Amino acid sequence: MGEILAYISTKNRYDTTLPLSMMSVASQTKKPDKFVLFDDNEEPIDLRESEIYKNIFKLFDERGIAWEVIFGEKKGQHFNHQKANQMGYKWCWRMDDDCVAESNVLEILYSQTRDNVGAVGGSILTKPNLKVESTGKIENLNKEPNIQWGKIKETKEVEHLHCSFLYRAGVQNYCLGLSRIAHREETLFTYELFYKGYKIIVTPCVTWHLKTDGGIRSIEERKELFEKDEVKFNILLNNQIVVLDNGIGDHICFKSVYEEMKKKGNVLIFGCYPQIFPEMKSIAEAVELLGDIRPYNVYYYMDAKNHKGDLEQAFRKMYL
Amino acid sequence: MIIIHPFARQLKNGKENPKNYPYWEELIKLIDEPIVQIGIEGEKQLVQDFRTNLDFIDLTKLVKEGRIWVGIDSFFQHFCWDLSKKGIVLWGQSDPLIFGHKENINLLKGREYLRDKQFWLWEQCEYRDDCWVSPEEVIKYLK
Repeated sequence: MGEILAYISTKNRYDTTLPLSMMSVASQTKKPDKFVLFDDNEEPIDLRESEIYKNIFKLFDERGIAWEVIFGEKKGQHFNHQKANQMGYKWCWRMDDDCVAESNVLEILYSQTRDNVGAVGGSILTKPNLKVESTGKIENLNKEPNIQWGKIKETKEVEHLHCSFLYRAGVQNYCLGLSRIAHREETLFTYELFYKGYKIIVTPCVTWHLKTDGGIRSIEERKELFEKDEVKFNILLNNQIVVLDNGIGDHICFKSVYEEMKKKGNVLIFGCYPQIFPEMKSIAEAVELLGDIRPYNVYYYMDAKNHKGDLEQAFRKMYL
Repeated sequence: MIIIHPFARQLKNGKENPKNYPYWEELIKLIDEPIVQIGIEGEKQLVQDFRTNLDFIDLTKLVKEGRIWVGIDSFFQHFCWDLSKKGIVLWGQSDPLIFGHKENINLLKGREYLRDKQFWLWEQCEYRDDCWVSPEEVIKYLK
């Protein structure tokens, strides 16, 4: 298994910007170990039969970059992001299917990776002359433009990223409870990495965001889904989420960890035994908010991490 | 008075839970003080005083009254630990280092009997009756 997975999740852009995005991945000065195209089109086609894509795949082959096309579940790009996240690579470079990265982007992003770095992003430009003075702090999310919308002049730490970036895989899960348009999915994902103690960095390099039709812009009920996602986003942003889809014993073992978490901030707890935690909400409500609750399961965590300590230690590692 | 909690939850596939100690009847014969069994309706009654479906308040009172308790890897060992009431836990294939508490007396026949996949469902594990300490061994810790 290599170190860097580059991937694009695509929908309704076969004939517009997707080939450009893929070419920009294939042309990077730093080659990813593998490229995956998640195809979320309602009626996907075999791209190997397209002259344009045939040649792009040939280029990947010539450059020694393994590639694969995976048909998505059509539930939204966040499902594809989560699949990529769990494919076993150390880093994932996510590219939108209407983005074109300059040839040095991956090299520059990768150069900023360290043990304590969670994600690195660069400028995502639509209007090259947009002057952006932003802090990149989550508290200013609704008050300032995203720092990546302007030409980043120096490397600095921020609290969240947008659109395309390189991230440490397998550490944080994407929220699968968001709608098909997955509004705020990357802000939530990167901020949760930040909350876990990782640095989130922006650094000077340029990816062009062409913003064509297709993708989520083609979904009719977009406004309603946007609003629903915004509500969920605010719940998730302002609370640490605990899901105890487990036995009474597991609930009991969690008690001391819960007390410590509450001293640090707001905690929203879902589970099975309100006898232990009276304020607990139901597992059904957890599924409604989060979609897939398996990543929140301590046994899923312990199995994935080959945990060797005791149960309480596992909870501590998950939440504190 | 000794409290015993002999059975883990019933498996969905109807098979014996691999966490259940197979020698309760033999152990009970070796105990010469009153025993209270706790559990839920439908479980096998092993002693005269079998109290089922106790709520947490009544269970707490009972645990505090008892001299000691003996159980298996189930909610009860966590419940008693939370009350700081020390007891004996009989381990078979689950790992006391992961699921136990060092404050208790954790009796494990040997780590070679632990199941490989500690975090999988118990429905995915076969029952073994050779991975347990003997009743005679347990009695030494009860006296």
